[in-house]
Amino acid sequence: MQKTTQLDSPTFATMLRQGAVQLGRDKKAVNDLNVFPIPDGDTGDNMLMTLKAGCASLPNSNPSLRGTKQSRQKLSEVASAASSGMLLGARGNSGVILSRIFAGLANGLKDMVEADAKTFAKAMQAAVDEAYKSVPVPVEGTIITVLREGAAGTDACGDLNHYFETLLEAMQVSLDHTPELLPVLKDAGVVDSGGAGLLSIFRGMNDALSGNISDEEIAPTTASTPTIELDKFTENSTLEFGYCTEFLLRLMRSKVDLGTFDEKVVFDYLNKVGESVVAFREGTIIKVHVHTFTPGAILNEMQKYGEFLTLKIENMALQHHQSTNQDNASFKVPPKKYGVVTVASGEGLINAFHEIGADEVIAGGQTMNPSTQDFLDAFARINAQHILVFPNNKNIKMAADQTAELYKGADIHVLPSATIGEGYYGIGSIDRDNANVEEVITSVTEIMQSVVTGMVSTAIRDAEGDQVNVHMGDYVGYSGKQLLSDSLNRVEAAKALVERLGAASRDVMLIFFGEQVPQNEAESLVADLQTQYKNLEIMLNNGQQPIYDYIFVLC
Amino acid sequence: MLTFFSDTDCDITPKECAAYNIKLISMPYTVGEQVIYPYIDFDEFDSHKFYDMLRAGTMPTTSAMSEEAYTQYFEPEFAAGNDILYVHFSSGTSNTFTIMHQALEKLKAKYPERKFYEIDTLGISALCYNIVLEVADLLKAGKTAEEIVEWAKVEVPKFPMYFFADDLKFFRRSGRVSGLAATMGGFIGIRPIIHLNDEGKMVSIGKETGRAKAIARLVQYVEDLGEDVKAHRVVIGHSDCPDIAAEAKRQLKEKFGQDLNVITTVVNPTIGSHCGPNGLGICFHAKHR
Repeated sequence: MQKTTQLDSPTFATMLRQGAVQLGRDKKAVNDLNVFPIPDGDTGDNMLMTLKAGCASLPNSNPSLRGTKQSRQKLSEVASAASSGMLLGARGNSGVILSRIFAGLANGLKDMVEADAKTFAKAMQAAVDEAYKSVPVPVEGTIITVLREGAAGTDACGDLNHYFETLLEAMQVSLDHTPELLPVLKDAGVVDSGGAGLLSIFRGMNDALSGNISDEEIAPTTASTPTIELDKFTENSTLEFGYCTEFLLRLMRSKVDLGTFDEKVVFDYLNKVGESVVAFREGTIIKVHVHTFTPGAILNEMQKYGEFLTLKIENMALQHHQSTNQDNASFKVPPKKYGVVTVASGEGLINAFHEIGADEVIAGGQTMNPSTQDFLDAFARINAQHILVFPNNKNIKMAADQTAELYKGADIHVLPSATIGEGYYGIGSIDRDNANVEEVITSVTEIMQSVVTGMVSTAIRDAEGDQVNVHMGDYVGYSGKQLLSDSLNRVEAAKALVERLGAASRDVMLIFFGEQVPQNEAESLVADLQTQYKNLEIMLNNGQQPIYDYIFVLC
Repeated sequence: MLTFFSDTDCDITPKECAAYNIKLISMPYTVGEQVIYPYIDFDEFDSHKFYDMLRAGTMPTTSAMSEEAYTQYFEPEFAAGNDILYVHFSSGTSNTFTIMHQALEKLKAKYPERKFYEIDTLGISALCYNIVLEVADLLKAGKTAEEIVEWAKVEVPKFPMYFFADDLKFFRRSGRVSGLAATMGGFIGIRPIIHLNDEGKMVSIGKETGRAKAIARLVQYVEDLGEDVKAHRVVIGHSDCPDIAAEAKRQLKEKFGQDLNVITTVVNPTIGSHCGPNGLGICFHAKHR
């Protein structure tokens, strides 16, 4: 490995290019990490496009000239050429921040012919300051954190190789720590994508510094030829993410006094009306990245100050993509700790299970047991270390148990949930931050044991219970195998069942009403029950399930 | 002269401000694209309408104020030769105060004679409200700003607030509560019990199943931790669940006597953007937080 004590311009140009090559290799993995600020899966592409724009504007430099007299182009010239290229080419949140990092670096290397480790370290500090300045509300746990902590953790007392080694180490530590700073990362079981992209670039730069220069082409970026998936935003969609809006605004002499104009008015405005704002001024150009629901308002406001050089507005729903399980080695999305598979029928009930945290809800139940293959397919769609299975039925549990032994992609734990209520409560009480799977299972099992579930359905034959006699066609309330109420009136059967389930001594009752039950019947039942059980908290859900008109879950 | 400032995150209304001679700083929140300044962009806070909007799925955000905004509030006072006493919500929950101090640095250079007294209530909503009224009492009793700042050093840590919220997605999004178990308890009636610690940060310290038990636990804290409870106000803050607040008030009066001074406030929309609807908190005077 070659040692470099003085960084010159051809070396730096080669490092930038190798940074882009490395990011090109890691691009997909970086995309797949993207969950913040919105999960649109384009961080890797955006950063790569930004860096490529920087590389494209480098003055022609020949790597073979490194160390020779002809390399006397100043380091600062290369740094500032890269920085201007990135200014124009910057895309996306992390891309714009990346362009500021290199702008800060260029500023720190101003007038330098060459730089040693100490000078480069100072320039990195300027890069940190510039990056933080470009984000009005800095969010820790992102690219800026990885840069700052990386720069702070370096040792600049040796040569540049040593500096870069310590930088990469510190960046890696910082990157691994990002989920602790940003809950959305932790929830998704990923590290920050922008931070990962930055580390990738610096890895490539380090490779070039140590003489490992590859001659492969920089990977193409997909964002330049986007495939627009129109189905992702239909006439029934709601605008959930807004528009990613980016532009370069040329401040106009005819509109503002260029000498005294303070760009802060623009930044403050953007910060008030938008999110994920990254903005900075370079001469008379203002670069803006903002997420907004009404881009028109922002454009009109901006035209008070200048005119647009470039403009890009995208509905972020179209960018939003489901990250897939990937095979890229560099930043493999770490599997999340817990995945959840359960079984239910009825659209409302299935949605409710998704809402409470089930990754996969297999359609099925008492009259339709899922197959082994259904379970295996569901497991395969989840990237998790442990998959907790809630069968919600004794028969289905047996099928699930068999499947568990067949699947090798994760540790499968089949929990003994025998009813919808037990499953729902069990899933809702999984503490996803608790790394100890045994503890989680114990506490979930305890919660499930404390729950009692009762159902109201129509009797399909005559039956005799301990306490009630049932005629075919009656509404019947039961729990497990126990018949607890019977009536020709559904509401009466429900009320009697609730009483027999011991509502008076319970704290919470969830009700899922079935597809046969009108909403107003269910609501008036809740009102009556609430009057009767003042201390019971009742939560009503439209389960739309077949067969069971009411499912009552008491805790 | 001393000008007494508070802010809308402290749940105090313009009407009350007029009564206690308080100037009110409006802390903004954003719905969709619209930045809304409480009591500037509307006269009365229609809390039911606001929290219904949250129930229907809207998640407002909040943002820090600009330096200019702070300057606009404070500079006229300094220019008129007045000093300022500002009782504000917890600096542990927002970075707006960093910006405020930047504004003050500049004003200090311009008005070196003027004084700025700051009381960080290390709280939100009902907790701040309680301390704002305590300070109003002290001013009325003729205490100086210096004396009140000294009082606050001892007394602010003696005003705890314990609360629960219904739907954790609001807190989870803002990431401002530590120790929350990563469960979906809101869907199954399990409520975390949260309090504001000595650093003014929100920490989850346990959970209760069902609203009745959650209310009972808050009332139990007043019994267990309370000190000279009846010599001070007990403030119940709620985010659009007046029935639950009334039940808490009933239980408090049952325990401490009908002459207990209980005030019920509605959580302002800016704090409400973080805690969501159907939350309840109780602030009282205690041995410690």
